Amino acid sequence: MSSISPQSRPALAPGARIQTDRVAGQPVLLSPEGIQELNFSAHAIIARCDGKQTVEEITVALAEEYEAPLDELREDVITCLAELHEKKLIVVS
Amino acid sequence: MNFRPYALLAEVTYRCPLHCPYCSNPAMYPGGNELTTSEWQRVIDEAAALGVLQAGFSGGEPLLRPDLAQLIAHARQAGLYTNLITSSLGLDAKRAHELREAGLDSVQISFQAEEAVLADAIAGARAHEKKIAAARIAREAGLPLSTNVVLHRRNIDRLREIVAFAASLGAIRLELANVQYYGWAFLNRAQLLPTREQVHTARQIAEEEKARCREQMDIFYVLPDYYEDRPKPCMNGWGRRYLTVNAVGDTLPCPTASSIPGLRFENVRARSLAWIWSESESFQQFRGEDWMREPCRGCPERTRDFGGCRCQATLLTGDPANTDPVCGLSRIVP
Repeated sequence: MSSISPQSRPALAPGARIQTDRVAGQPVLLSPEGIQELNFSAHAIIARCDGKQTVEEITVALAEEYEAPLDELREDVITCLAELHEKKLIVVS
Repeated sequence: MNFRPYALLAEVTYRCPLHCPYCSNPAMYPGGNELTTSEWQRVIDEAAALGVLQAGFSGGEPLLRPDLAQLIAHARQAGLYTNLITSSLGLDAKRAHELREAGLDSVQISFQAEEAVLADAIAGARAHEKKIAAARIAREAGLPLSTNVVLHRRNIDRLREIVAFAASLGAIRLELANVQYYGWAFLNRAQLLPTREQVHTARQIAEEEKARCREQMDIFYVLPDYYEDRPKPCMNGWGRRYLTVNAVGDTLPCPTASSIPGLRFENVRARSLAWIWSESESFQQFRGEDWMREPCRGCPERTRDFGGCRCQATLLTGDPANTDPVCGLSRIVP
C-alpha cells in the first residue's frame, strides 16, 4: 500500500535541496547522505512539493502544463513520490 | 576518463578536543601547516568545477577553524551541498546561527554513547552534556540534525538506549556505524572489537529499531565488516566518486588511504585538484580493474564491490592489491 494518497501534501525532507548538476546538466536532489538524480518528470513533480499543494493539485497542474491524461499521470506522480518518500527525501502531511 | 568526483571530504583540521580510541585522524600525522582560508576556497572552487556536488566539513573538529562559516558560505556559493561533521564542542547559539546564515545544509553530531559516564570515558573528555546542549542549539537554529554513534565493544550492547536517546534529541537521522579498523582503531582494536555474539544481537536490535522508528527517524546501521562474507564496495570504487583533502592539503582517494605504505599523495599547494583527480598515481593506482588479482579479476562481483577495501587489504594482508580479506573468496582469513 502506498504511503502517498491524492490528499497527501508532500514537501522536501529537512536537509534536502534541489540543485543542478553542472557536469550532467541535470537536476539532482541533494540530502545529507546522497545524490538522487532527477529525470524530467521527477523534477517537475518534486519542484511542486511545497507542503501546501496536495498530490491531486500537483497532478492537475502537471496535466494542464504537459497536456497529459489525468488518471495515468496521477498514478505516475504517486509512484514517484512513494519512491522519494521511501528514500526519506520527502515528507508528507 | 569517465570518472568524476561527486563528493569532497574537507578535513579542515586535525585538532580535536576529544580523544576517541577509534579516531579517524591518521595515526601518523603528515607534516605541514593547515591550509589557509583562501587555499580552501580555491580547493572548493576546483572541486565544484570537477563536478563535486557535496562537501563534508570534517576533521578533527572543524569548529576549531574560525573561518568555518566562511568556507561553508563559499561552498554554497559554488553550488555545493554542505554538511558539517562535528563533535559539536564549540557550537554555541551565535556560531550555529552564523553557520545557518552561511548556508549550512545539515549537521551531523557524533555521540559516544547515550549516557554521560560511559560517553565521556570513551571520548576522554567531559563532553556528553555539552553535546546534548549543542544538539538543541543546532535544532533551534533550524539546522537539520543527524547523529552518529560509533559502535564497539563498550557501547554496542546499549543500542536500544542509544536509539531512544537520538530520538529524544530530535535527530532526523541516526547512523550507527560499527568501528572500521583503520588508523587509531586498528591500533586499539583489542579494546574495541566486539564479540561475534554482540554483533549478532546488535544487528537484530538495529533492524527492529529501524522498523519501529521508521516515521520519526532514519536509522542507518553500518555493518562491522570483519564479520561479513563479502567486502563492502569501499568508496564505491577507488577514485570513482570521492576525494578527501586533508588538513595540510594532501589529496586522498579515501580518508584512510594514508595507511597504505608507498602511496604518494599529491598536495593541492603544488597541483590542481583536476590534475590530482585524473593524473596522479595515487588516484590511478586502484582505479578500474587493471590492478586486480585473482579471485577479484575473474569475479562477477567485482563491478559491485570493486574488490573491497584497499586499506583493509593492506592492514590484514600486507599488500593493498590483494582481495579484501573480508571476502569469503580470499584465502586469507582476517
